[in-house]
Amino acid sequence: MERKRGRGLLMRIQYVLNEAFNNIRRNPLVVVGAILAVFITLFLVFATLIAGEIARVNTLRWTDDVRVIAFLDDDADVDTLRADIESWVEVEEVFYVSKPEAYEEALELLADQQTVLETLQDAPEIIPASLRIKPVEIGEYDVIENRLQNMIGVFSVESADAAIDAMNSIRGTLQTFSLALAIALGVAAVALIANTINMAIYARREDLEIMRLVGAGNWFVRTPFLLEGVIEGLLGGAVAVAVIVGLYRLGLGSLETVEIITLEVDSEFLFTFGLLIVTFGAIVGLIGSGVSLALNRYIRS
Amino acid sequence: MIRLQNVTKVYEGNVIASKDVTIEISRGEFVFLVGPSGSGKSTLLRLMMREEKPSNGDIWVAGKHASGMPGWKVPHLRRSIGTVFQDFKLLPTKTVYENVAFALEVTGRPRHVVRSQVPQVLKLVGLSSKADRYPRQLSGGEQQRVSVARAFVNRPLILLADEPTGNLDPATSVGIMRILDRINRTGTTVVMATHDHAIVDAMRRRVVQLERGRVVRDQSRGVYERRTEPASGPPLPPSEEPVVTPPPPEPEIAKVEDAAPTEEFKAWSESGGEAS
Repeated sequence: MERKRGRGLLMRIQYVLNEAFNNIRRNPLVVVGAILAVFITLFLVFATLIAGEIARVNTLRWTDDVRVIAFLDDDADVDTLRADIESWVEVEEVFYVSKPEAYEEALELLADQQTVLETLQDAPEIIPASLRIKPVEIGEYDVIENRLQNMIGVFSVESADAAIDAMNSIRGTLQTFSLALAIALGVAAVALIANTINMAIYARREDLEIMRLVGAGNWFVRTPFLLEGVIEGLLGGAVAVAVIVGLYRLGLGSLETVEIITLEVDSEFLFTFGLLIVTFGAIVGLIGSGVSLALNRYIRS
Repeated sequence: MIRLQNVTKVYEGNVIASKDVTIEISRGEFVFLVGPSGSGKSTLLRLMMREEKPSNGDIWVAGKHASGMPGWKVPHLRRSIGTVFQDFKLLPTKTVYENVAFALEVTGRPRHVVRSQVPQVLKLVGLSSKADRYPRQLSGGEQQRVSVARAFVNRPLILLADEPTGNLDPATSVGIMRILDRINRTGTTVVMATHDHAIVDAMRRRVVQLERGRVVRDQSRGVYERRTEPASGPPLPPSEEPVVTPPPPEPEIAKVEDAAPTEEFKAWSESGGEAS
């Protein structure tokens, strides 16, 4: 009666898979409940992640354009001012836009507004020269703004501050929210998976008793239940990703008209985080079945 | 093969199930544990199969320190122990063949082992022709034979049987006993808890009598009730509840040749097993 490890192992794998799928088939309603719980959890988490990403992409996009603009007096000493500002640690880059350049820019910007354009053409000298300053960090624009206001040769300072603040705060809130949500719903999903596994164990208590009596290995007894949990978690995660991506694509088509905000998210982002969500589902399933196995009296040896 | 050293088992609520039990059982022995209900027979069996840990004392089974091993090592110990119970514990959704094969499959034996061992052991218990039946289609005696087949298919060193004939009529019981005897003759140590006077008296094997958790008699080639000879254990205290069950009429072995005995089996019975 020598043991042939290889074939025995193959039989074990086959057995474990069979058992896991049989358990799922035996109790479809409860299993669907658990999958739904994982689905809802991960749906919300993924949705928040995408919303957060949209906020991030938009802040970034604006950040890219963000210049604190210092409008200069006509008699300002441009070179000194520029050298001075460039030396500040908060400042990444400084561009000088001369009066003629500013005039050209204005003509372009106002091309469709005939009356304003005509006024402008009558008095090209009213468009001031300016220094456009790019901060190192988006958050530092207000420090720069304050310092500029007190400088000689600067008559006015402007920046897109309110919008940036709003966007940053939305992002922060979203991140906290999604984390809290993930934890709370994750716990619920774990509990529901543990419940299905408990029911599967109960349905098989006679088999388990005999398995224990004849000396089936602990892992041999447990793996089918662990696998069942993982399969349920994976399914929940996969459905969440599929639904989110579907809805997102659908929504993107109808909402594209909103201009200031891009709703577009990298498909690479969707892919990476989709995978992450599915993995997360599997982990939730594994923890759920692990909890059940650790506490179930028909399993403990 | 099995050694219990000053074993005491106290259940919750101060229920003493075993008290200072010391027994040594050698390889190949056939031992009856007898005594009234609640005398601690089942507890001793459960301790031997490591379903329970003793409150005190040490237990060695098949060369392993059963009372001291961690839980994760228990499956390995169980593979050298076959178990049979009064209520058969067969899986109703599996056929006879599948029930027996289950014991091999769940311990990870390769398919070819299952294919060769299961028919062999079914032949031993005389159920080859009923391999595809379900437990509910079998008589009690047949179900118990399936259960014995499952316990023995692993070729364990030890077979522990807890009232295996408790649910069976005397004639059917004899059938089971012949199988257990046959298994014992292959060198397997058999420990059986029983109430059945007729069987114990007919088999004339070692008898360990328990009363309120204590060993009150340990006698080789003994009978169910102590008659004249002194026990090797402590003197028997005055019995409060005398064993009342009158011994059933001596079963006639010749009548129990049901269920198509195998060639092997016939040869054994003709050679005159100890039970007859």
